[in-house]
Amino acid sequence: MSQFFNQYFNFNVMGEHFGEVLVAFLQNLLVFAVAAFLALLWGLGLALLRQLPSRKLAPIRFITIAYIDIFRAVPILIIILMISGGVPFLTFLPQEVRIPHWFGRPDPFWYGVAALVIVYGAFTAEVYRAGIEAVPKGQMEAARSLGMSHFQAMRHVIVPQAITKIPAPMLNELISLLKDTTLVSVIALSESVLVSREILAERLNSSALTLTAIFFLVIILPLARLVDYLIKRNQLKITRGSHIEVA
Amino acid sequence: MAEAMLSLKGIHKRFGNLAVLKGVDIEIARGEVVCVLGPSGSGKSTLLRCVNLLAPPEEGEIFLEGHDICKGPGSGTGEESWELDFVRQRVGMVFQQFNLFPHKSALENVTLAQEKVLGRSKQEAREKATELLERVGLGDQLDQYPETLSGGQQQRVAIARALAMDPHVMLFDEVTSALDPELVKEVLDTMRELAAEGMTMIVVTHELGFAREVADRVIFMDGGVIVEEGPAAEVLENPREERTKQFLGLVLDR
Repeated sequence: MSQFFNQYFNFNVMGEHFGEVLVAFLQNLLVFAVAAFLALLWGLGLALLRQLPSRKLAPIRFITIAYIDIFRAVPILIIILMISGGVPFLTFLPQEVRIPHWFGRPDPFWYGVAALVIVYGAFTAEVYRAGIEAVPKGQMEAARSLGMSHFQAMRHVIVPQAITKIPAPMLNELISLLKDTTLVSVIALSESVLVSREILAERLNSSALTLTAIFFLVIILPLARLVDYLIKRNQLKITRGSHIEVA
Repeated sequence: MAEAMLSLKGIHKRFGNLAVLKGVDIEIARGEVVCVLGPSGSGKSTLLRCVNLLAPPEEGEIFLEGHDICKGPGSGTGEESWELDFVRQRVGMVFQQFNLFPHKSALENVTLAQEKVLGRSKQEAREKATELLERVGLGDQLDQYPETLSGGQQQRVAIARALAMDPHVMLFDEVTSALDPELVKEVLDTMRELAAEGMTMIVVTHELGFAREVADRVIFMDGGVIVEEGPAAEVLENPREERTKQFLGLVLDR
């Protein structure tokens, strides 16, 4: 038993490497922040493309749906490896895109962000879609009957209502995204899992990984509670008969 | 007959295999108020949706102020086209379920499209909206959100919202059907005033009293066709068609 405890919960190891692991964890948070911001925008873009009206734009709708289906199905790890192991060799791309070092971040950082945005854009698009489809059809009709274009109606009427309906499922996606930032360790970004594995190799002790897990718990547990709270609050609204949030 | 504001010729509309309109012809003069009666499923609402191209007809012609609005590239498919702009800037619509924007105050509901579609300044739109909301008796509710307003108040905001676009024709789609009985009158009063001011109106309704009093003409529809039409008093008091008699009998017997 003490052997088990020593292997996973060695406070000496945790203490000695605390700073190192924390700095690496901040790298995860940074990947998360950039990827989440971009994925939320990209997902909204995809959701709007998917909702384009009229028969003429059907090909765009079809391509969007295919994109969303494909990237929800393919494991992120494959996408990460395909980008980091492929994009540098696409010589028709400019150097700063093939091997990006924007804002002083190393290229694995940006390969990881790109992969996460590509995949989570597809997931968030589905959440946005649920929100958009939950807005009563009459809202679009009313906006269109007032002469607004489809895009104006989306922007001023539909999307503002849609986003009030989806904070809970969206937060779930963001929690998954935060956890999946650890996958970027496979392309040698010094984030918390990579650093913890190095410590494991050096000390033959898993406590740094435990420490990393604890960091994730500390951030994610409150978010999980928040999701529950949002779901309950939303149900309360529905039972009260007014499921529409007033800004 | 005065200049035709709106004229529909041989309108056909189907949803999938279901033919909802099977050849409807209507001519409406400027300033005329036409009430459309009929059982549910008779195509009344679809008719209104055809007129403002929310549900463009598959066959037939619609002339609005002399312009054919069912012709040209993109017509009948819901595409963006000049017809849509032309129609939606001239035709206002009020819905059974109000369809107010719940995230906007009463005032913002009325200013939004003025600013985004007509390009009016915030100030202009605000003045126009305030004036219209006062006119429908809601001058003291400008900053209320729809969920705090009664159904009758919401519907009057919806009427003000449509009027803010300076429409030449107003379509009313069973606008009192979702209201508590005691709230119906305030909405009908607003529509009465509008009619008295000379607005061209097509009113789909089950309010026979309103039709008798306000309508210049009544159209009775069933099964996607016009069964009978004529001056309100004539159709309502002395219907010629058996189907009309039957329907009016049922409605009056309630």
